[in-house]
Amino acid sequence: MRFSDLIAETLHSLTSNKVRSGLTILGIVVGIASVIAMVAIGQGSQAAIEQSIQAAGSNLLTVSPSAAGQQGPGARSFGASVESLTREDAEALADLSLVTGVAPSAQGQAQLVAPETNANAQVLGVTPSYAAVRGLTVSSGAFISERDDAANAQVVVLGATLAEDLFGEGVDPVGERIRSGNMLLTVVGVLEEKGTSGFTNVDASAIIPLSTAARYVTGSEYLSSITLTVADEDQMDAAEASVEGLLLQRHGIADADYADFSIMNMADLMETVSTVTGTFTTLLAGIAGISLLVGGIGIMNMMLTTVTERTREIGLRKAIGADSAAISAQFLAESVTLTLVGGALGIVAGWGIGVAAANLLGATAIITIDSVLLAVGVCAVIGIVFGYYPARRAASLSPIEALRYQ
Amino acid sequence: MADVQASTPVIDARDLTKVYEGAGAETTALRGVSLAVEPGEFTAIMGPSGSGKSTLMHILGCLDTPTTGTYALSGQDVSTLDDYELAEMRRTTVGFVFQAFNLLPRATVMRNVVMPMLYTRVPHDERDDRAASALRAVGLEETLWTHRSNELSGGQMQRVAIARSLVNDPSLVLADEPTGNLDTATGDSVMDLFSRLNDEGRTIVLITHEPDIAAKTRRVVRLHDGLVAEDALTADAHVRQYGAGAVPAHVADAPGPSAAPALTADPAGDV
Repeated sequence: MRFSDLIAETLHSLTSNKVRSGLTILGIVVGIASVIAMVAIGQGSQAAIEQSIQAAGSNLLTVSPSAAGQQGPGARSFGASVESLTREDAEALADLSLVTGVAPSAQGQAQLVAPETNANAQVLGVTPSYAAVRGLTVSSGAFISERDDAANAQVVVLGATLAEDLFGEGVDPVGERIRSGNMLLTVVGVLEEKGTSGFTNVDASAIIPLSTAARYVTGSEYLSSITLTVADEDQMDAAEASVEGLLLQRHGIADADYADFSIMNMADLMETVSTVTGTFTTLLAGIAGISLLVGGIGIMNMMLTTVTERTREIGLRKAIGADSAAISAQFLAESVTLTLVGGALGIVAGWGIGVAAANLLGATAIITIDSVLLAVGVCAVIGIVFGYYPARRAASLSPIEALRYQ
Repeated sequence: MADVQASTPVIDARDLTKVYEGAGAETTALRGVSLAVEPGEFTAIMGPSGSGKSTLMHILGCLDTPTTGTYALSGQDVSTLDDYELAEMRRTTVGFVFQAFNLLPRATVMRNVVMPMLYTRVPHDERDDRAASALRAVGLEETLWTHRSNELSGGQMQRVAIARSLVNDPSLVLADEPTGNLDTATGDSVMDLFSRLNDEGRTIVLITHEPDIAAKTRRVVRLHDGLVAEDALTADAHVRQYGAGAVPAHVADAPGPSAAPALTADPAGDV
């Protein structure tokens, strides 16, 4: 049988029972659409999370103080509860060859009183290098300068949302003054909005010179973290090792298990998060795949019914010269056509659902060529697998019995 | 057409037996049937139900193979062929006409007639021409060709089925009770069509239990209990007497109109 004849026969028999064909196709549409939509949403969320980490800087190492002997994810403590890192540590780290930038910071909480309103905000004491290391830019005014830091100057750079909270939208607060405890801070700059990135929400922070923070906010010379940038992301592990070695040496600790600091490697974090979100996506796709399986069984069910109903037709076709292969091909073609049509509609529907659901969730849906090709492949396989048995059954009917069938 | 194999019998069957293996029991349908049909013959196979005529037709039509015996169709021994080779023979050498017409009801007349060519290598552009000439040969008006086959009358449907049996130019047309589902007038016109096709050189074998139908053929082969009970020219055969119902065992060797009154006596005699 020619291929064009096979297609013509297939379309003819599928269109002669439109409702049944339509419902069977619907089963596949639902299955494929849910797989496509789930994968799109999963991959969209994965990309969003990775992007957020990327925004924080995937070439960052963050050194935090931690209780000796308790290094490890569970025991890591942020903030200044353990005092082990100093400005001198930071300056020493800056000399390491793989390290391109060092930003020591001290973190505290303070009540900020503006003329109109007040707010409780995170206060970050930083050196001028912080802006470069964290990729911050000012939308107005200037960042903390070396001179500010050297002079314990009472100046502040406000995060975008904090500036809005204190002074209202669209107002440039540069030059205004804020009272906090016994400081009277002059606003020298406002940061460009950065969005939540990593673990510090810079947008809601007040940034002051590190020396000023040490004197007025934290009351100690110790740091709450040192953030380092590494030139090349591929050398994160080497950089981490050299940072660890230098700090152990400076702190006089022989055994790394007893280190009084911990180092967080953004590249590692990124990898972990990717694995988790990847697993999540696979899980979603797996659940959606179950509906695809149900759709496939629907096809088999329809094809078996069709074979029974068309027993006489099969007998006739055999009597006029169709061999088993031709009969088999005809029924297989019908089931593959059903799944491919369902698959095509399912891809379109899944695309739509993915985009709509992502909009609703505030994420973006990502439909990759991979998932479309996978869907098409799965459809063809379903068509063949679930069509094979009914097709075999049709082909193996004896023409004599089939012609007698009532 | 048939004249290609003018010297070879279309059907050359020798000592055909067929035994069906049922659940526990064996059923013997044919006990040793020999039959030769030359090109251009018009033969009726008759016999009561259970006589083995359907089994014989299945074997002659390459739908089934005999248990023992040989069968050559147009010179080709088909008794040992496998399923694919049998399909090939059905495709190229046999045209089937069924009692129930067996048309695809939702398909058009043209589509039904073109169908046997789907399984052959007949080129696309030649198919419609061949279907059209087959439909003209059976005398179906051209206005009906695009109708769906379930919109036709019984006689028209059987004409379509006959056209379908002719499109692959078979050396044998095999008809299984072709008039069984038709009224007498329509049945007669279908038989006239078969006669005309036979006049044009077609070899036709039909199965019937109606004596009136068998009377329109040229040769009658009567089966009884899986054996050939009679094989004679129609003019000489006991068509009228024993067409329907059981044939008494003695009939095969009792020529002449001896049993004739049995059929006509009761109603006519009393009135």
